[in-house]
Amino acid sequence: MSTNDINMLSNGDTMDQLNGALDTHDAAAETVAAIAQAQAMSADEIALYDRQIRLWGVQAQERMRSANILLISVKALGTEIAKNLILNGIGSLTIVDSEQVTEDDLGAQYFVREEDVGRNRAEAASERLQELNPRVAVRTDSSNILTKDQTYYAPFQLVIACDQNLETMATINAACRLANRPFYASGIHGFYGFIFADLIVHDYIIERETSNMPATIKQETATRSIVGVTTKKQNGKNIETVTKREIYSPLLLANTSPLPDDIIRNRRKMRSVTPLLPCMRALWDFERDVHRLPAQNSKEDLTVFTGMATNKLKELQMPIESLTAEFLRSFLHNIGSEIVPTAAFVGGRLAEDVINVLGKREQPIQNFVMFDGENFDGPIYPLQTFLQPNGLGSVPQVQLTGLEEVQMQNGHANGLPINNAISSAPADGQNSIQGGDVETIAIE
Amino acid sequence: MPRERFLKQSLGAQFANIKNARILVVGAGGIGCELLKNLVCTGFGEIHVVDLDTIDLSNLNRQFLFRHAHIKKSKALVAREAASKFNPNVKIEAHHANIKDPQFNVDWFRSFVIVFNALDNLDARRHVNRMCLAADVPLIESGTTGFNGQVQPIRKRLTECYDCAPKETPKSFPVCTIRSTPSQPIHCIVWAKSYLFNELFGISEDQASDLDHTSDENNKEEIAELKKEAAALKEIRASMGSTEFPQKVFDKVFTQDIKRLLGMEDMWKMRKPPTALDFETVNAEAANVDRQTLADDQKDWSLAENFAVFADSLIRLSDRLDKLRAAQETGNAPPILTFDKDDRDTLDFVAAAANLRSITFGIETKSEFDIKQMAGNIIPAIATTNATTAALCVLQAFKIMRGDWAKAKMVFLTKSTERVINKESLRPPRPDCGVCATAYARLVINTEKTTLESFVKDVLVKKLGYNQDEVEVSNNAGVWYDPDMAMDDNDNLEKTLSEINIVNDSTVIIRGEGDEGERVNLELSISNMELDPSAAAATSESFTLVPDLQTIPKKTPAVTATTTDSAPSNGHNLPTRTTAKRSADEAELDNDQTAKRGKVAEEKKDVTVVEDDGAIMIDDD
Repeated sequence: MSTNDINMLSNGDTMDQLNGALDTHDAAAETVAAIAQAQAMSADEIALYDRQIRLWGVQAQERMRSANILLISVKALGTEIAKNLILNGIGSLTIVDSEQVTEDDLGAQYFVREEDVGRNRAEAASERLQELNPRVAVRTDSSNILTKDQTYYAPFQLVIACDQNLETMATINAACRLANRPFYASGIHGFYGFIFADLIVHDYIIERETSNMPATIKQETATRSIVGVTTKKQNGKNIETVTKREIYSPLLLANTSPLPDDIIRNRRKMRSVTPLLPCMRALWDFERDVHRLPAQNSKEDLTVFTGMATNKLKELQMPIESLTAEFLRSFLHNIGSEIVPTAAFVGGRLAEDVINVLGKREQPIQNFVMFDGENFDGPIYPLQTFLQPNGLGSVPQVQLTGLEEVQMQNGHANGLPINNAISSAPADGQNSIQGGDVETIAIE
Repeated sequence: MPRERFLKQSLGAQFANIKNARILVVGAGGIGCELLKNLVCTGFGEIHVVDLDTIDLSNLNRQFLFRHAHIKKSKALVAREAASKFNPNVKIEAHHANIKDPQFNVDWFRSFVIVFNALDNLDARRHVNRMCLAADVPLIESGTTGFNGQVQPIRKRLTECYDCAPKETPKSFPVCTIRSTPSQPIHCIVWAKSYLFNELFGISEDQASDLDHTSDENNKEEIAELKKEAAALKEIRASMGSTEFPQKVFDKVFTQDIKRLLGMEDMWKMRKPPTALDFETVNAEAANVDRQTLADDQKDWSLAENFAVFADSLIRLSDRLDKLRAAQETGNAPPILTFDKDDRDTLDFVAAAANLRSITFGIETKSEFDIKQMAGNIIPAIATTNATTAALCVLQAFKIMRGDWAKAKMVFLTKSTERVINKESLRPPRPDCGVCATAYARLVINTEKTTLESFVKDVLVKKLGYNQDEVEVSNNAGVWYDPDMAMDDNDNLEKTLSEINIVNDSTVIIRGEGDEGERVNLELSISNMELDPSAAAATSESFTLVPDLQTIPKKTPAVTATTTDSAPSNGHNLPTRTTAKRSADEAELDNDQTAKRGKVAEEKKDVTVVEDDGAIMIDDD
């Protein structure tokens, strides 16, 4: 990051300011000064980011600016995420992709061209991504992400994995947990997509005018609690600064977790749960068992997949009529396809969450978004199982020590992960296909 | 072709239509750049893009088709260059022009299968809405503010049009609030920008759009005093360039005028009285001001710091006006300066003067950064909201292009904990919309005998109440009567209806150009009535309208904002909705109904409604 920022000083206002501040040409002093300069935003930088600083403030911008992000895979979805993060001015983006640009990429990966086919995808895409914002250090890594251990993840503030199978996502997620790094996973299939977040423990700050019901330290939902409240007077108004904490589950647990109680207990809510959720779960099972995606024209794949989706539906206790033949047909048609509008929505929403998480503001995704671009649906489901020492799932209670509370109030919250354990086995034996339940669905 | 593999997979047979589609994108800014990328990558055959704007540094954080080297160049032209590279099979036509230019007429609009609005102002949005209605082309309207975004598909006769829902108009302030009794920072900013700046460097205050003169009559005496004050300031303006000029201005507006106001004791019975400033004292203090802090536009400047910026910018602006005068040829109107948020000298002056006035009135001061936003109507804008909103526009287009209007929705981005988008079914057109509503009726009339003149006068004006000077009569053969053709010059008036093709079983379109209160547009099916002397004698009128005129609605105001529109139902008001406050803690509101009620009541106090250039829209309850 520093290399890039020092390079940046070689032109424009920043250099003039730097010259004014330096009396000697001592190289060491120059470096020190350059680093000091790089830490505070220049007027030019504030002018560039003016419209977004007006939304989230200089402090959040500075937090983003010092963040190093790891992005795994840069196809249509990864490109959208990379584009948004680079435009917004994060510190550095490292793109890991061991694959080559294929002809299929030309349709939706708009930062590669015909002449790039056969080149490493990360390298080809990074050239045009870098042009979006010279202030961001864009780096590439063409090795296989599965060869990395947790030390690889430690230098990054946040990790995003795109278009991976469940096993790969879970492996990266586990390494991120060991390195205590927040993790996002996302994927798209034609009109459909998902976002998953495991931020381990994430604290964020909300500043607002105190209402007639001032915030107090309490558990708000199964995953969210208020862990700090301070108040101040500003221009005659009472302003409260509320620190909230969200606690997350790793992907493998989330993927076998039931729907939250408030949905299960409500028939209307239950009926409107998207069939995309069981279909995504079924797709991951299919990939795990068959080591590929269902083929478009294979009756056998269709039968197997339909059985798996039906099982997932039952596991989730969803009404059987939720999964229509029409939906199943549409989902299967879209498997493996990448189209830009879906990539732009899913990647855009994920990048927005990342930006807010880095800035420690706004409610983050908890923890699964299912996007259905055919029906304009985008529900968020908190799919959580918290492991207790006895292995039973339950809701963690927030117990603050005095010291932690002070840290919260200073905005330096850095809660320890309550649970690094990840179960890698399926939750139970019910994932196997039960042939008798397979419905026959005609696919054109 | 591998490039098209996924498009064929997901879009199926529809992809062939998309490849042949000719579409229009109005605006190449935040949403426009994202839209172009999406449309080019999904293979729309011919894309036209119109934008009159040029690229600015502050665009580059989100308008990703533009680079630093493109600053000051045409958005439309640069966007075409950049987006063309995404897909060589797509043809892009760029127009560096105003969408309201006459070349973009109804026939031109009609040549597109779909139009996308990616605009930043109400006026152009309304214009495109009208053109799409006239051309009967589907329109996808979109807008973003901060984290909020929304998309509204519009189709003539099928859905609400952009103007079916009332739109909030720019807010203006009573003259006396601005000049005598400010109570909020915005009042002082408007005073500095629209009064002081213009009196010293521009044209007189009366032309400022954000001043509301409607209650002037009730405050005659005060208005007269204010006129004197302004006249005195004009005299001071004459001494511009002299060393005493800054002190003269300061003494006038921060000492004398304040003292005069203090003399009006009635004014301060219920209000906190202002405190006059003293030039010598503040000037002495300002000598120690650190110049470095003045460059920091995030900082809240002290009295002395505001003074230093005020005095310094006053001199800078005077010098500029001086140079303009020297350069100009004799005989021309004297040069003036205009406020521009991106012009540092003018912004410094307005920020410092506004804060000095705030200090005299005991109102909180604002940083220059904040004042820039309030004075320049800046809308916070980020890359991700534009990306997600533009994506939704294209997903809507897929549904509209295959005629599946049941699946096209009004869609909003939301920061709820339960979902990332909200959707509503599209509503039918409002029958009394002043823009898109059309009523249908049957007119039984003798087409052989009735002249166009009697049709206009007896049927349209007398019976239906259209204004003779603002009504248009047309059918498939052309326009026969319109407001621009004066009665005397219109050769058609003598002709009978049948002579101008208004015959049995034909249709006539009546379009009123007048305002609210007038009847909506009317489509009349004509039935010829054989003249029967006995029947004519029986009724006083020689024609019959079916159904009767009570069923033909009148236009309602589409312009003025109503207070009920900010109701949580999310109504149908695009600008209001894009600016509806979604507080950072909406997550909690979802779970806490009690807090929600408290919050909804508070929302109206917020001061952030920003839309359009050149007008301040503030709720100052």
